Amino acid sequence: MKLLTNVRKLLLLQQSPKQRLITTARTITKISQPHDEAEPALTSSELDELERNCEMRHHKNNIPLIRQLVQALHSTGQTGQDQEQTRRQLEEQLELLPNATHPRLLGYDNQPLELANYKHRVLPEQGVAKEFSDLARALNLYRMDHLGNYTGHKSYYLTGQLAMMEQAIIQYALQSITRQGFKLISVPDILPRNIIEACGMRTEGERTQVYKLDTGECLSGTSEMALAGFFAQRQLAEQELPVKVAAVSRCYRAETSGLHEEKGIYRVHQFTKVEMFAIATPEQSEQILEQFKNTEIALFKQLGINFRLLDMPPCELGAPAYQKYDIEAWMPGRQMWGEISSCSNCTDYQAKRLQIKYRRDSDGSLAYAHTINGTATAIPRLLIALIESYQGAGNGNGNDSIQIPEVLVPFMNGQRTITKNKKVPEIKLVKFIKST
Amino acid sequence: MLKLGGVLRKSFFLKRYISALYITGDKANEHYVTIQPFLDFAGTFRDRAALDHSISSRGLNINLETVLSKYKNYQTHHEQLLRLEKERDSITKQLKLLTKSGGSSEQLNALRENGKVLRNDAKELKQKLYPIEDDFIHEFLHLPNSLHSQCPASDVEKLIYMHKPTASRSSTSHLERKDLVHFVNNNCYYLMEQAAHFDVRVMQSLANYFVTRGDFVQTSNPDFVRCVLLEANATPLTHYYLVQEEHLQNKLNTAYLTGCGSFESFLGAMTKLSVYPSVLPMRFVACGRSYNREEALLYGPTPSLYTATQTNAVQSFVATQTADEADTELERVLNLAVDFYKSLDVPFRIVYTPAVSLTASESLRASIEVYAPSLKRYVCLGRISNFGDYVSKRILFSARREKHFDFLHLVGGPVLYTTRLIAALIELGVELPLGTLPGAQAAEPSVEAMTQHQRDLQEFKDLFK
Repeated sequence: MKLLTNVRKLLLLQQSPKQRLITTARTITKISQPHDEAEPALTSSELDELERNCEMRHHKNNIPLIRQLVQALHSTGQTGQDQEQTRRQLEEQLELLPNATHPRLLGYDNQPLELANYKHRVLPEQGVAKEFSDLARALNLYRMDHLGNYTGHKSYYLTGQLAMMEQAIIQYALQSITRQGFKLISVPDILPRNIIEACGMRTEGERTQVYKLDTGECLSGTSEMALAGFFAQRQLAEQELPVKVAAVSRCYRAETSGLHEEKGIYRVHQFTKVEMFAIATPEQSEQILEQFKNTEIALFKQLGINFRLLDMPPCELGAPAYQKYDIEAWMPGRQMWGEISSCSNCTDYQAKRLQIKYRRDSDGSLAYAHTINGTATAIPRLLIALIESYQGAGNGNGNDSIQIPEVLVPFMNGQRTITKNKKVPEIKLVKFIKST
Repeated sequence: MLKLGGVLRKSFFLKRYISALYITGDKANEHYVTIQPFLDFAGTFRDRAALDHSISSRGLNINLETVLSKYKNYQTHHEQLLRLEKERDSITKQLKLLTKSGGSSEQLNALRENGKVLRNDAKELKQKLYPIEDDFIHEFLHLPNSLHSQCPASDVEKLIYMHKPTASRSSTSHLERKDLVHFVNNNCYYLMEQAAHFDVRVMQSLANYFVTRGDFVQTSNPDFVRCVLLEANATPLTHYYLVQEEHLQNKLNTAYLTGCGSFESFLGAMTKLSVYPSVLPMRFVACGRSYNREEALLYGPTPSLYTATQTNAVQSFVATQTADEADTELERVLNLAVDFYKSLDVPFRIVYTPAVSLTASESLRASIEVYAPSLKRYVCLGRISNFGDYVSKRILFSARREKHFDFLHLVGGPVLYTTRLIAALIELGVELPLGTLPGAQAAEPSVEAMTQHQRDLQEFKDLFK
C-alpha cells in the first residue's frame, strides 16, 4: 500500500501542461528545500518505485533520462532558459508514464488470474465445431473475400439475419444498460488528436492504432475517448457523481494482424460497439468498476455463451488503467478463448489530462475525478462467439442452421433460427467484360 | 488559410490527371489495375442529342465536339493497332504452318523479319496511343449519364409529394435545447437523453421497416471506400475525408471515410459481381454512419445539426434488370419512405432535384425533405437516385444470360439522415417518439417510458436473471 501511495504522490507530476508547470515549479522548490516536511521532495527512492512500476507494466519509459532531468533541475549551474528547456523535457517524459498499478496485481507475474468461469452450453467439440467464417459463408450471410481493392483490407459485409443480429445485439445491450442507470449519448467518431492522446493512445509512430484523416483529425478507436472528451474541462458537483453514460459508436483501429487465430472478423479495422463510461469520485471508482464487471457478466450470461472472467496483470493494463478485468468467450470453432469485453478503472489518469474535476462536498475544494470504462458489447467477436456456440442447434438434419439466443429473439422480429439466405446471390466474380 | 487549403485541395481533385478507375498500359507497372471498366462508346454516343441535353442541363463545362474528335483520333489509332496485331497473329500462324511443312529458310526468315517490323510498329504505335488514350478515356469517363425524362432540366425542383403544408412560423434553433444537443462544430456534436435514443432507434426502425414491409435484405457494410469506387460512382472526392494509411500499396487507390451507411459502401460487394437474373430485383438496406463533409454545407453558414458531417443513416440499394423495373423500384422505395415519415406527422415533401444539382452518375434524384423552421426552408433527409446502368458498367456488375452480360440498373441512396430529422423535430416541437415508430421492435416498455419506481423494480429483477 505504501508503494501505491508513493506512486500516487508522484502522479501529481502528470497533469495538464499549465497545471504541470505549477506542480513542477513547486517540485523544484521542494527539491531546493529538502527539509520541508510538509511537502517532501522527489527522492531517489520514489524514482525507483516509478521505475519498478514501468518495468512491471512492460513500459519502455526512459527513467534514466527522467533521473538526469530531475538532477539537472537540482543543479544550480543552469540558467533560466536551460531550466525551462529541462522542465519541458521532463514534462514530456512524465506524460508518457503509465498510471499507477493496483497493489492486488503486484504478485500476478505477467499472468492473468481467472476469477470465474461460466458454462451455459454444451458446446460442439473440436473437429465437429465449425468456425464462424465457414458457418456464415455456408449460410450466405457474410463476405470478406476480394474486397481489399474496393473497401479496404479486412473489410467485411454482413447480410440478412447476421446484419439484423448486429442491430439486435445493440438493442439488447442498450435495453440492459439503460436499466442500470446509464444515460445514452450519441458521440462523434472524428476527434482531435489531443483528446485521443489524453486518453492514453499514441497517435504517432510506426505501430499506432489510430487512423488519421487528411485534416489532421483522428478516428476514434472507442467511444470512451469521445465520452471522456465530453467531460473535458468540466467541474461536477460531488452529489452528481457517479455519472454513468453509454454510447453506440463505430470504432476504427489501424492495427493489423497476420495471426491465423485472428483471421476473419476477429480483428478488424472497423466495428460497432456499445460502450459504458463513468465519472466517479476516488472513493467510488473501485465499486463502480465492480458494477461494470457485473453488468458485463449479466449481459453475457443471458446470451448463454461460455466465458471466463480474468483479472489482468500489470503488463496487460496499457498506459491509463489502474486495474482491468477482461471477459473471454470460448469460441468452439476456433478452439480458443477470445476477448469479447473488458472494463478498466483509469483513476485520475485521463481526468488529469482532460481536466475533469469535481467539487468536494466536505470542503468545497476541487479534485480530479476518476474515470471508468467498459465494453457492453463489441459486435464482431460477440458474433463469432454466438454463431460458433449456437451452431448445429437447428433441426438436427445436419444443416448449418443456427439458433438465436432467447434474449435476442424479440429484436429479430421473433425469429428463432438463422437459416441459409437465398435472396443474396452466390459470389461469382468476373475479371473482365469486353468493351464495345 | 483554411479556405486557401480547401481551394487547393479542390483544384487538385479536379485536375486529377491520373484516374484509379482507368490506368493505361504504360502506367500499369507503377499502378496496380484494380478494375477494367466496361467502356460503352457506342451506347454513349448513340443518342448525341440526349447526351448534349444532359451536359447542358447539368451545366457541365464539357465540349462534346472536342470529346468526339478525340474519340475519332483514338478510334483511328486503336483500329490501326488492332490491324497490326491481326497481321502479327497471321504471321505467327504462317510461321507455325511453314515450320511444320518444312518451308525454306528464306521464306521463314522473310516472315520473321516481317514479324519483327510489325512488332516494332505495334510497339511504336502503342507508345503513341497511350497519351491519346489517356486524354480521351478520361474525358469519356467524365461524360454524364443521360437524364431521366422526369428530371427537371431547369434549375427549379419539381414537387411530387407534400405532407402537411408548412406554417410560415419560425422557431428558435434546435441548438438552444442544450439538454438534448451539445454542438461543438460540424465534426463534433453530442446528442443526449431522448435525442440519443431516437438517433439509434429511428435508424433501426426504418431499416427494419424496409425489411419487413419492403422485402429488403439488411446488410452491414464497410466504412472505407477506395477511390476507384468513388470515381466509378462519380462522387466528388471532396465529399469525404481521405484516410491516411500506413502501408498503402496502391498510392492511386486511396481510402475515403464514407461510413457504412453510405451508398458507395454497397458498391464494394457488387464490384465484378455477376448474378443470375432469378435473384433480381435485389433489394438491400443498411444502417450506420455517413460522413459527408460537403453535402450538408448547403444549410450553412451557421453550423448546426443540419450541417454536421457525421450522421446515422439508413441507406437503400436496389438492382434491377431493366430501366422500367428501376422506375418501379424507385417509386417503391419512395412509397415506403412516405409511409414512414407520415407516421411522424411532420411537414415534409418529395421533389425531383434539378439536373444542375445531380452528380454525373445520377439520371434522376428524388429528394425527401423536411421543413426546418429555424432555416425557414426544407432540408434533405434522404435522396433516392436512379443511376441507370452507368455505375454498373464501371464496376462490372451484371446479370448473366447465357453468354451475354446485362449491366444492372441501380436505384438507391439514403432514406434517412438522423441528425437533420432530430434537429427539425425539435424545432417543430414534435416529441421524439421511440416505441411507436413503424418497424420498431419494442420488446418491453422502453426504459425511458418507465417511472423511477418501475425502473428500480426492473433493476432489482435483473439482478436475478
